[in-house]
Amino acid sequence: MSSAVLPMEGAAASPRLESFSYDDEIVRKFLWATFIWGLVGMLVGLIVALQLANPIFNQTEWLSFGRLRPLHTNAVIFAFAGNAFFTGAYYSTQRLLKARMFSDALSKFHFWGWQAIIVSAALTLPLGFTQAKEYAELEWPIDIAIAVVWVAFGINFVGTMVKRRERHLYVALWFYVASIVTVAILHIFNNLSMPAGLFKSYSIYAGVQDAFMQWWYGHNAVAFFLTTPFLGLMYYFMPKAAEGPVFSYKLSILHFWSLVFLYIWAGPHHLHYTALPEWASTVGMLFSVMLWAPSWGGMINGLLTLRGAWHKVAEDPILKFFVLAVTAYGMSTFEGPLLSIKSVNALAHYTDWIIAHVHTGALGWNGFLTFGMVYWLLPRLFQTPIYSKRLMELHFWIATFGILLYIVAIYSAGVTQGLMWRAFDETGRLAYPDFVETVVRLLPMYWLRVAGGSLYIVGMLLFGWNILMTWRKRPAKYEVPVITAPALAKKYVPEPSHVGAPVPAGLWARFAAAGWHRTWERMPITFTVLTTIAVVVASLFEIIPTFLIRSNVPTIATVQPYTPLELAGRDLYIAEGCFNCHSQMVRPFRHETERFGEYSKPGESVYEHPFLWGSRRIGPDLARVGGKYPHLWHVRHFENPPSITARSIMPAYPHFLTKTLDFEQIQSRVDAMAMLGVPYGDAVNQAPAMARAQATEIAAEIERQGGPAGLGDKQIVAMVAYMQRLGMDLKRQPTTVGVAK
Amino acid sequence: MADGKDSRTDRLLEHEYDGITEYDNPMPRWWLLTFAGTVIFSVVYVFNVGPVGNGKGRIADYEAEMAAAAALVPPTPTAVDPSQLLAMAKDEEAVEEGEEVFTTYCASCHGPDGGGLIGPNLTDNMWIHGGAPESVYKTIAEGVLAKGMPPWEKSLKPEQMTSVTAYVLSLAGSSPTNPKAPEGEPYTP
Repeated sequence: MSSAVLPMEGAAASPRLESFSYDDEIVRKFLWATFIWGLVGMLVGLIVALQLANPIFNQTEWLSFGRLRPLHTNAVIFAFAGNAFFTGAYYSTQRLLKARMFSDALSKFHFWGWQAIIVSAALTLPLGFTQAKEYAELEWPIDIAIAVVWVAFGINFVGTMVKRRERHLYVALWFYVASIVTVAILHIFNNLSMPAGLFKSYSIYAGVQDAFMQWWYGHNAVAFFLTTPFLGLMYYFMPKAAEGPVFSYKLSILHFWSLVFLYIWAGPHHLHYTALPEWASTVGMLFSVMLWAPSWGGMINGLLTLRGAWHKVAEDPILKFFVLAVTAYGMSTFEGPLLSIKSVNALAHYTDWIIAHVHTGALGWNGFLTFGMVYWLLPRLFQTPIYSKRLMELHFWIATFGILLYIVAIYSAGVTQGLMWRAFDETGRLAYPDFVETVVRLLPMYWLRVAGGSLYIVGMLLFGWNILMTWRKRPAKYEVPVITAPALAKKYVPEPSHVGAPVPAGLWARFAAAGWHRTWERMPITFTVLTTIAVVVASLFEIIPTFLIRSNVPTIATVQPYTPLELAGRDLYIAEGCFNCHSQMVRPFRHETERFGEYSKPGESVYEHPFLWGSRRIGPDLARVGGKYPHLWHVRHFENPPSITARSIMPAYPHFLTKTLDFEQIQSRVDAMAMLGVPYGDAVNQAPAMARAQATEIAAEIERQGGPAGLGDKQIVAMVAYMQRLGMDLKRQPTTVGVAK
Repeated sequence: MADGKDSRTDRLLEHEYDGITEYDNPMPRWWLLTFAGTVIFSVVYVFNVGPVGNGKGRIADYEAEMAAAAALVPPTPTAVDPSQLLAMAKDEEAVEEGEEVFTTYCASCHGPDGGGLIGPNLTDNMWIHGGAPESVYKTIAEGVLAKGMPPWEKSLKPEQMTSVTAYVLSLAGSSPTNPKAPEGEPYTP
């Protein structure tokens, strides 16, 4: 990489030598952003971990768990891993294509646009602006900004491929292409929503369909934001650091295409035993099982690339980071298919097992690959030797120990809770009928997680210190090497065949020699289109039946839209992020129906824009909570949960009792729902009046039960209305008219 | 990973990208077999061959699970002997056991000393659903959903329900710190 003149391609081509330079300034910017947002995201992670270990860490309504948890996930995924991907992609793409980025202006727009989006996320999530869909919480104006910035990145990337001076696309670039295209598709289609104000919207999909779309998105955010981009980075930085060839080109081809095609189907494994149709659940499981080998293809190609370099691993901390990253990738991509098997999922779903699984991926795979990559880049970008190799080594060991502590604790927590939920005693009763028992049992493990996470953050600080001190030693002015390389000839001249390679005989042998793929690799636009087709076709195979088969969602006559006041309460439930801890989806298991009530039916969710089934039960399921407790119970419980459940770790919501409910605003919410096809009838014109009438009734009942007076215009009445409505539709007689009375 | 070791040629492919080269090695055989294995498993699963597959489906499985449990689990005894409950209310050990259950499950609504909070005062002689021993037991076991009193027979064992009934009966005439106003009808034994 030090030689400025790169080898010419195709001896017969008449080379017109061109001079250019690489834009490393943009790479340095992304590198700083990676570190800064990484630290922020992990610190927020530490706060939410503390909040679970002791609710005293929930201070103020803006910084409670329900609002901070999405900030943690968004910061780590989109800010830390996102900027890490951009750092590595901008560095490697230019070099792999022998071309400066297509447009410096677009690069800058991408950088500053992305950072602005992160800042807006950090401001709006604590304020309670959320779409309530995991990893897609940001509200519609920010979603539009994300789409614009992402498309700008895409144009910049494709433009660079078009003006490239390297004939063929290297495997790293295939993964970048797949990531860029698919993230755009996923983001746009999952976030389609009906605005009901500047920072409020409702998903255009409802219930079963919304759940399906969300996890089609959610699972593939893992695939195409945290997996394929990082496989691309691995394919560039690992052979660079190991200074050896990639193990197998053929393996790259097969594992790339199978990964891209199979991943897209796997989303429904997040919804096993829910009201999602069983066929979709089965498809999700089987495609996840089939994903095992394609995922491991990446791990094998990575680890075997190091075959000749194992002696270097002992001395080089960068390679250590890479080895652990790829190993963590192998572990979590074995565990993923395992968790997608229905009977395993029955135990693991809603528990910390899933949290442990994602942290193996995020801390191990994404984190360590990023650390290795950045350490490799530092001397090259800051043009000075790295400040301290010993600090790198220390970072590696502290962070490794931190991960171990974190995941072992949280695996134990997950399995413990899963087993406690399903345990029956000899009299046929739940062994732990009191949900909180299954929560407090986990608290020691939550403290261990805090310790493990803290160690990881200490490693992060060492990382930052090393970056800072290396940066301080930079030259007064960065050298910008001028590169000369021949322009691509218009006409492709075939490469000489492998020296001494036998000519394949027979059709299969010629297919297996992958010459056809070699052809695709020199057609970037065709390659992009083929990748898009793979992803879109696979998606449509699932999406079309989910939306069109009527029997997926049998109608239930008694299911009615929420009253305006209940809808306002539901919006508060969303704003507070209650869905981060409470599911609303009882699975058809004896231990669940004994604990919570009748299992959930698809027809119950037809007006749920968005669906609120949840994915983790830190608190109990709420699908059947309506009518279970008196109004006053809820008032006292929101005000101070431990006054009802002594050992509860739920944050307190005293502001529900003091903040005034915006009755007038309810009209715009009802109107937006009506535009989505929810049959609101009269409520379209008189939502505030209807809400006030119901609020007065509820406030009077609270007072009658011995509660405080004067709550009729406070947020609490909307919350109580919503809580008391949950699950009541199934108990209603078909003749009762719900909303239009 | 011994498989395919011999077929590894470690022959470099001609191309090179920014100094990165690639071998033309075949894919490891064990990896290809694993991939094929998962595909075969999936086909077998879809066709529900033998024990591999959805079987009758999740709802049928659930109904079978419930039926099996119903056959195993004896129904909760509904009849209780009022005189035995009254005797227990005077038995220190039984009352202590009941107090433990009360503190865990009941105190949040009825107050730690039974003086009433969200639910009614249990220390006075006024009862909404009857103050006779068998009525108190029935209220605890079956609940009064309309009033927000949950049924406890599915969570508490029969002996836990009798002991907590005994404890509630033993509260009669005690003086809680912050009593809720009386509700319901008077009951005199």
